[in-house]
Amino acid sequence: MSVQLERVSFRYPGAAFDALREVTFECAPGCVHLVTGRLGAGCSTLLQVIAGLAPHVTGGSRSGSVVTLGRDPAGSERHDLAGRIGLLLPTPWTQLSGMAYTVAEEVAFGPANLGWDRERIRQAVDEALRLVALERVAARDPRTLSGGELQRVMFAAVIAMDPEVCLLDEPAMELDPAGAEALYAHLPVLARERTVILATTDLDRAVSAAGRVILLDGGAVIGDGNPAEILGTPRAVETGATTTVARIASLAGADLTYPLTVAAAVERFSR
Amino acid sequence: MTLGYRPGQGLLHRTHPLTTAALAGAVSLLAFLLPGELAPWALVAGLCALALVAGLVPVLGAAAAFSAPFWGFLAVIHGVFGHDLGTAVVLAGRITAILTVFLLLLASVHPGRLVDAMLARGVPFGLAYLLAATLQAVPQLQRRATAILDAQRCRGLRVRGSVLRRLRAVVPLTVPLVLGALAEVDERALALEIRGAASGTRRTPLDPPVDGPWDRATRWILLAAVAGVAIWRLWP
Amino acid sequence: MARLSSRLLALIPLAVGINLALGKVASATSLPLFLDTVGTVLVAALVGPGAAVVTGLVSQTAFTIVDGKLMWMAFLPVQLGIALYAGLAARYRMFASPLRAVASGLGLGLIAATLSWPISLLLFGGVTASGVTLVTTALTAVGMPLQWAVYGASLSSDLLDKAVTFLLVYVVLEALPRRMAVRFPAAERSRGRA
Repeated sequence: MSVQLERVSFRYPGAAFDALREVTFECAPGCVHLVTGRLGAGCSTLLQVIAGLAPHVTGGSRSGSVVTLGRDPAGSERHDLAGRIGLLLPTPWTQLSGMAYTVAEEVAFGPANLGWDRERIRQAVDEALRLVALERVAARDPRTLSGGELQRVMFAAVIAMDPEVCLLDEPAMELDPAGAEALYAHLPVLARERTVILATTDLDRAVSAAGRVILLDGGAVIGDGNPAEILGTPRAVETGATTTVARIASLAGADLTYPLTVAAAVERFSR
Repeated sequence: MTLGYRPGQGLLHRTHPLTTAALAGAVSLLAFLLPGELAPWALVAGLCALALVAGLVPVLGAAAAFSAPFWGFLAVIHGVFGHDLGTAVVLAGRITAILTVFLLLLASVHPGRLVDAMLARGVPFGLAYLLAATLQAVPQLQRRATAILDAQRCRGLRVRGSVLRRLRAVVPLTVPLVLGALAEVDERALALEIRGAASGTRRTPLDPPVDGPWDRATRWILLAAVAGVAIWRLWP
Repeated sequence: MARLSSRLLALIPLAVGINLALGKVASATSLPLFLDTVGTVLVAALVGPGAAVVTGLVSQTAFTIVDGKLMWMAFLPVQLGIALYAGLAARYRMFASPLRAVASGLGLGLIAATLSWPISLLLFGGVTASGVTLVTTALTAVGMPLQWAVYGASLSSDLLDKAVTFLLVYVVLEALPRRMAVRFPAAERSRGRA
């Protein structure tokens, strides 16, 4: 198990309520773990806790046990984990390194900080840019890119560090539909060798990539299992954390569990 | 945005940034150490020759444009009111020499390469990063400041009028800029941390400039020159 | 020097950017203001004097590089003095009320003018930033000896500039929502709430 949380609660500094309440689950490579819930349910906080950034960078107090790749990511051994956990945040612009003049340099920022030798960095950057189909912008200034291109570049920047645990927070927020589909389609491939945890409310597109869903509400885990049994329930429809197709099926009075995608709905209802 | 940088392949472009920076430092010190009213102007003449050889003559125009107001002030303050034209000439020479050498430095060193050069020389990553990130953040914040100025003006903010009104206008122009910047600090910090910016590992310079034997020799010569002049002038 | 944390790596370039960007705002109002230390004072109030000193150092380097602005590295002691003073002021809760902010700002103006006076006079013959030098010129025109003209000019602009700077930092701290303020170690204390 590369990620193990046991009864983890977390509260931001100065906050009146816990952002996470007694969260317990485990993750391993093999499938894409999808974390979802209403806005404010705690999905982003969960990723930051797994990465150790909460509380190390955000401040605040954490209780319970967090073990990522065998260590507490916010504890004294976190230096062993440098570069082995990747986190992609929703807004690309605030993730710019601030010192890169070309896209290639931007993607190379993380690997260079890890002290890799130049040849290894060059290969990692080339591969990462090829993955997101942006080799042609390698020499451009990142500040001249569109939102969608920049988000793909930041995705490449995370991948270039070759992390064992990939935490993705709304990675397709700035992408057009085709770009988003391409990104989600790639995640199961990534998840074969790594632990991929995806936090998003874009369930219509992301659900086909997910092998497992963790549903959060108010900081607590209210569901953990395969997509159909977690998202295809009336409770999921109530909390608003489900796909459009399931919502339609629920309103139309279909039997449980609701189909989640168009393809599943066609298969169910065209009998 | 690359401030003042002019792409090229001339002599100064091929020189290691540290050498050019050492030249700037040496000229600045010599401008104060060398005796005589015309000594700083001799430095200026040398720099003009260097600019010619390095293909950076337009920089001289910029240097003259920046220095001119100071020549004017000095002529008035020291020349007319102080009745001491000699002082005016010396000070004008110093300002011009220092300004010219700095503009030549800016024109020939790409800011990205400067950081790599600093890292290759063992400057702690934190300081090198701060300088590099600042050079990118400054134009960004300046643009935002202008945008806020325009937006507030559209909403009726008056920046003319009584001193008190103008003073009060400073608040709606400043506070949004600062609060907006502070709101970004959290996310930026998260991204930097996870990308290893705060790790203790020695960062690999991506494209460090070559530090050749001529570079090292030139730096030693500059050091010797400044030390020699300093001893000559300051020895009791 | 302790390794710089990610929060400082994120904050300081923004603070220096603020230092340089507010110059535009200042000139738009045609007041004898520079507002070029607002970022440094802010960091002093949010984090502490050490971080403010680093901000001042990077600021002075950036001033030297950007814009042809002739505030050269020679004025570094002034920047460092400002950073330390602001850090102390924050520790003594001088940003807890507008009156205390303005009063300590005036104090800084006096100190800043006194620190920059010898540098300006000895190294540059009293000729530095255009606006201040105009005042110097005017004073020498009415017969004041150069050294006092330079001091007078610096003092008049620094008193106003630093008082306004401290007042602005007070306003920003007041406007900062609590959840943001608590993430900065010194913020609550500076504004007198801790």
